[in-house]
Amino acid sequence: MRTGVIKAYMLKEFTELVRTKLIILVYLLPSMILILFGYGIKMEVKDVRTVILDYDKSKLSYQIISAFEHSKYFSPEVLNISEKEALSLMKKAKIDMIVIIPESFEKNLLKGTISEIGIFIDASFPFRGLTIQSYAEGLLYNEASKLLSSDKTGLITVNQRNLFNQSMRDEDAIVPGLIGIVLLVAPAILSALVIVREKERGTIFNFYSSPVKKSEFVVAKLTPPFLLHSVNIFVMFLWATYLFKVPFRGSFLTYWLTSEVYVMISVGIGLLVSIVARAQIVAIVLTIIITVIPGFLYSGIIMPISAMKGEASIEAHIFPVMYFNHIIYDTFLIGQGFGSEKNLFYFVVLVMYALGLLSLGTLLMKKELR
Amino acid sequence: MRAFLAVLLKELIMFFRSWGLVAVVLYSFTVDVYIAGKGFEVKPRNVSVGYVDYTDGVIPKKILSHLHPPEFQEPIRFNSQEELNKAIYNREIIVGLVFDPDFEKNYFKGEAKLNLLLDATAAAQSYVTLSYIQNIVLRFNDLNFHVELKTHKLFNQNSDTPKFLALAEFLSILTLITVILSSVVFVKEKESGTWDIMLLMPVDSKIIILAKSLSQIIIVMVGTIICTGIVLFGVFDLPMNGSFLAFVLLTLMYTFSATGIGLFVASVAQSLVQVAQLSVIIMMPIIFLSGSWTPIYSMHPVLQKLSLLSPLRYYIEGCESLFFRRTPVLDLWLYFVALFILGSALYLFGFRKIGKLF
Repeated sequence: MRTGVIKAYMLKEFTELVRTKLIILVYLLPSMILILFGYGIKMEVKDVRTVILDYDKSKLSYQIISAFEHSKYFSPEVLNISEKEALSLMKKAKIDMIVIIPESFEKNLLKGTISEIGIFIDASFPFRGLTIQSYAEGLLYNEASKLLSSDKTGLITVNQRNLFNQSMRDEDAIVPGLIGIVLLVAPAILSALVIVREKERGTIFNFYSSPVKKSEFVVAKLTPPFLLHSVNIFVMFLWATYLFKVPFRGSFLTYWLTSEVYVMISVGIGLLVSIVARAQIVAIVLTIIITVIPGFLYSGIIMPISAMKGEASIEAHIFPVMYFNHIIYDTFLIGQGFGSEKNLFYFVVLVMYALGLLSLGTLLMKKELR
Repeated sequence: MRAFLAVLLKELIMFFRSWGLVAVVLYSFTVDVYIAGKGFEVKPRNVSVGYVDYTDGVIPKKILSHLHPPEFQEPIRFNSQEELNKAIYNREIIVGLVFDPDFEKNYFKGEAKLNLLLDATAAAQSYVTLSYIQNIVLRFNDLNFHVELKTHKLFNQNSDTPKFLALAEFLSILTLITVILSSVVFVKEKESGTWDIMLLMPVDSKIIILAKSLSQIIIVMVGTIICTGIVLFGVFDLPMNGSFLAFVLLTLMYTFSATGIGLFVASVAQSLVQVAQLSVIIMMPIIFLSGSWTPIYSMHPVLQKLSLLSPLRYYIEGCESLFFRRTPVLDLWLYFVALFILGSALYLFGFRKIGKLF
């Protein structure tokens, strides 16, 4: 490898990136994805539009209503309408939940006969419906156990501790995972594009016919995407901690080192794509298919890795996203760092991935016309 | 009128001649929707449970026997709390239960405490899991608590996710395909330079633009009918509670505004690569502001206002109402109007930007 050649080639790449304005995309796209998805994906449902039909109007029913009012998940309204009217409001998608407290609810409860509270939830968005249901039932059961503290024997109370994310914020749960997706997709697209563009334009023949070696070409082509996206590692960190207020409990060095290795993996994927693709549009689509889908499915954002079974679990272990996200979640929320053997092992796996992909790409690349 | 028909026919023929494109469109409208629907479940499933039992009594076993598939995996026993903690910290276990040595003694006194450690990194799942466990414990308590919660999930009783996911995927595919197809028809001509020739013809440019867009609308509508007929109704057994005609009309309105977006992309982009980049950049806010991921009422107030600009918002609401909610069609008029206004505004912009040579 001759440093002079690489330097010259790299200089050309940098100027080209600036001149074609691709550099704007380098810095705009990752931040945009992070901000949009960070605000966009909310598993948590807030301010559920609730209508409470209180036919009882007793002390107990007011207690229940005020519990709904004090919860951040509901914005209840006590209305004096019939069930039918409430239902038609729901059909028009104006409200999401109806709670019906029946007549003589308190009286029945004190007497010891069974009384019912009716909950109607709009489940046309199923997961949302399920979440609302669990919120509402949790709230009512909570109220119930408060009432029953007089009743003694055989009572178990749940003493729960939410580890790592005490207040169960969605941002904490999602943003670190998004970093894993962004840093996989963006560098891969860029590095695939810089090579495939030359193929599409035909300028790749300059490389074919010149005495530049394959390894020199790879280094010169891939260093600019790698360096540019290394800056993004810091940008992502700042967005996560300042904009989304995700706590950072691990060491920054761990985060930074792992991310650099991860960007290298991503660049390696871009290199592999550039070997197959001949047109820029194919390169973009192919990279997105390869990176985005596993990025979402196997990142642990939608489904925890430990809850996967069979094929899904095997596939998750094949893609590098899982290993990176494990360490990233650790640095942000848990903070064990390399003290834990699992993190260290996953880091080694990532390094192997990076080396493997890059050397495979260099090996498979052809310096001649096919 | 003859010019209109000629351009329309030309575009249709050109579409059917490119086999690759036809295959991609067909694939997206059938196989892709199928995969997305069957793909995965968002309910908490197979949650891994670990426990430490210092009592060796009967009651913990009874409680644990309530944690069963499909929601939970078989609980794994740990010998000490340190081991359990380590497993949770390594994210192998999501829910950890700790039974103190005097758990049983306290149980008969009525003050037993069940220690629950929850990995809350996946906030939504943890919350649902937590309420599952609270429910189990409360039912286990079996008190003289006489309130029964009758929960009815309307419109989709079992929270059947495949139906919904298939529908959601169909909506995003429809949006994506419409925007890309309708912008590519223009940009292809722009790239090869024939667009200027088109504009130089003694035909009103508006007619050419409308004919070109209509041809893509027809293609997409055929795709829609295939998708709803075979995949949504055939495989996923989606209920149809409104009128099918209203759905077709709503789709027509929606594709009208989506081709408006395509026209906008076409008037800004100079090459096909730019079309790809631009449509991704434009599509993302449209999908996120549509309320398919986050309910609109949970969004930031500013975003709630912005979401009024997303045509997908009206379409999703409309489709949900028609398929699941059994809404009378007349209550949906607002969606039709909103889609028409958005589409018209985009077309007016397109006419000005792309329909003029100078």
